[in-house]
Amino acid sequence: MSDTTVPVASQVGHRSLLEPDALLKKRRRKESWFKMLGLGAVMTGLFFLVVLIASIVYNGIPAFTQTYVTVPVTLPADKLDKTGNRNASEMRKVSTFGYRPLIEQALIDTLADQGISSPFEDGGDLADLLSDGAAADVRERVLRNTDLVGKTVEFDLLASSRIDGYYKGRVDRVSVERGMVLTPAHLDVADALHERGLIERRFNLEFITGADASDNRPEQAGVGVSLLGSLFMILVVVALAVPIGVAAAVYLEEFAPQNRFTDLIEVNISNLAAVPSIVFGILGLAAFIQFANLPQSAPLVGGLVLTLMSLPQIIIPARAALKAVPPSIRQAALGIGASRNQMVFQHVLPLAMPGILTGVIISLAQALGETAPLLLIGMVGYIASNYPEGFLDGFVSPNSALPAQIYEWSKRADPAFYERAWGGIIVLLVFMLAVNILAVVLRRRFERRW
Amino acid sequence: MDAMAHTDQISMPGSAPLTEANEVKIAARGVDVFYGKNHAIKNVDVDIEDKTVTAFIGPSGCGKSTFLRCLNRMNDTIDIARVEGDILLDGEDIYDKRVDPVQLRARVGMVFQKPNPFPKSIYDNVAYGPRIHGLTRNKAELDDIVEASLRRAALWDEAKDRLKESGTGMSGGQQQRLCIARAVATQPEVLLMDEPCSALDPIATAQIEELIDELRQNFCVVIVTHSMQQAARVSQKTAFFHLGEMVEYGDTEKIFNSPEDKRTESYITGRIG
Ligand SMILES: Nc1ncnc2c1ncn2[C@@H]1O[C@H](COP(=O)(O)OP(=O)(O)OP(=O)(O)O)[C@@H](O)[C@H]1O
Ligand SMILES: [Mg+2]
Repeated sequence: MSDTTVPVASQVGHRSLLEPDALLKKRRRKESWFKMLGLGAVMTGLFFLVVLIASIVYNGIPAFTQTYVTVPVTLPADKLDKTGNRNASEMRKVSTFGYRPLIEQALIDTLADQGISSPFEDGGDLADLLSDGAAADVRERVLRNTDLVGKTVEFDLLASSRIDGYYKGRVDRVSVERGMVLTPAHLDVADALHERGLIERRFNLEFITGADASDNRPEQAGVGVSLLGSLFMILVVVALAVPIGVAAAVYLEEFAPQNRFTDLIEVNISNLAAVPSIVFGILGLAAFIQFANLPQSAPLVGGLVLTLMSLPQIIIPARAALKAVPPSIRQAALGIGASRNQMVFQHVLPLAMPGILTGVIISLAQALGETAPLLLIGMVGYIASNYPEGFLDGFVSPNSALPAQIYEWSKRADPAFYERAWGGIIVLLVFMLAVNILAVVLRRRFERRW
Repeated sequence: MDAMAHTDQISMPGSAPLTEANEVKIAARGVDVFYGKNHAIKNVDVDIEDKTVTAFIGPSGCGKSTFLRCLNRMNDTIDIARVEGDILLDGEDIYDKRVDPVQLRARVGMVFQKPNPFPKSIYDNVAYGPRIHGLTRNKAELDDIVEASLRRAALWDEAKDRLKESGTGMSGGQQQRLCIARAVATQPEVLLMDEPCSALDPIATAQIEELIDELRQNFCVVIVTHSMQQAARVSQKTAFFHLGEMVEYGDTEKIFNSPEDKRTESYITGRIG
């Protein structure tokens, strides 16, 4: 043992493991550079994502709250119900013009009751605090519940978008002075009411369920109707594009003979996937509206256009998923005497299903966010002002879609609409998330069956 | 372990000595196979006997699998493959226009080189063939077939408590026996096996060889193998393929002990291949 000394690295001629050589150092340096670069890229991406989400939330959240003015409105029977039998269809004769003076009076009375001094003698000026749609809201509620007539009822009326903007920080005294409608005196009155808890900002369900409103009533506009439009279109896409796309993929991959013709089809499908969506819009306009005479602006037509657009997006990944099924499974099935049909539908397709569904999910998400082709077939935002009358009517009655609604609002001059556009984007993202979660859950189901 | 015992010397064909010749189950006459321009099988004539294990041996790429696939028309699934000549099963031409390969494959089953159970339960794997061919009238009959097939494949004891579990969750050897059970369940007359043991360890190999020997009682078995020992152990007849030709065919004992052709001799002594 004594004469066996452990040789030192330098003595034996090779370098010590304890100190890396120059080349290795260089290699290591390159590696760490690359790591830094990669990390930098990921961080940059994350940074922009955070900025994006933060700005969407910051700009969009105000759209979910709205400012309301609480006033007791007296509803005189002699004005609203001349016949006196509380018959709603007869009371319909009294238009919003019949209700407006009641609201104006109510405002004057409220100020007097609360001891708020105001420079406004005319109730009409005071009513500028309120939304143009306030009278219509009162009328709607009275017609729905005719027993209110003859009483004094407390109403939460929408404040005008400027007052709303004042409490959201979008409007200040300087800009009010420059504007035409309101004066700083209006803001004084509003502040006094606010102090007494009669003007309040609260959650606004109407934004999610409501219809689009005209240019001068941004405070009333909501995404509800266009959301329905999107939903009906997605139903059409799911009902048409998914079965047709999957069937086409199965046929092309499993049954079609290999020849020039199928090659041609294949090339065309790949090309279709790269066609800009607006081209599908003009195709839809020509084929479905001008040629087939389907109604304009109908979610059915929008759904058909999106179906055309989604088909290649479904077929291509579906074919890849089918191709990825191991050949051994096909041999096993055929070797045991399964027909080709049995092989495809009992073995290959179920195994390819998760992959197929992934393609479907992505294409649906894309269809959901599509705007340009819808504008061409008339599904512009301002169309979404009426609810469809029933399930089937939802497919044909003129409507818009959520992204088109957002685009519409972003074009309008009033900054109140701009805020709603951001809010709409939040709804769109949540809607997409919901659809995707649903699809992922479905996919899990399929995977578990195997 | 028994399987490993006589690996060093090739002498005796394993089991029961041959009695008089069995009747011919499959007769091939002048079979040629082309993959595009590649002439993979050249003018092969062979009579494969019933209740016999026939082994196909030969160097890699000589066309054993190709010829085996002709026997149940699995070559139909390869687009570029073209088969010429006649192959008769019980005297009927299986390449006749009126023959549906699906029906043929119910009678000529196949076990592949790589175990390929369906990603379904063990029970469903075995029951699949009887189900699609309508072999049973009720659940009880199907249960019986599944049990009998698993017993035949020497898998029943291991599988009986986990029939509902996935077939892909078994070991390689178990999976291959499951595939054999699946093939047997269809009650075929001929069983084709393409290197069924190449993915298995010696113990699983021994089990499957034993199984093949038992299957001989009821089936005509054709097996492709790269192991000379295996061919010697399990088969009664051996065909030697070389470069697409069938060089020699005869009793296993004779092929291994006194081959007529030079090429056969060099192959079994390890000089080609
Ligand atoms: N699907 C195919 N397409 C084209 N050529 C093929 C195909 N399968 C086999 N061949 C060709 O046919 C010839 C015989 O192949 P085969 O698979 O029958 O050989 P083998 O004897 O089974 O070989 P191994 O022992 O390696 O499995 C080879 O030249 C091979 O390249
Ligand atoms: Mg082979």
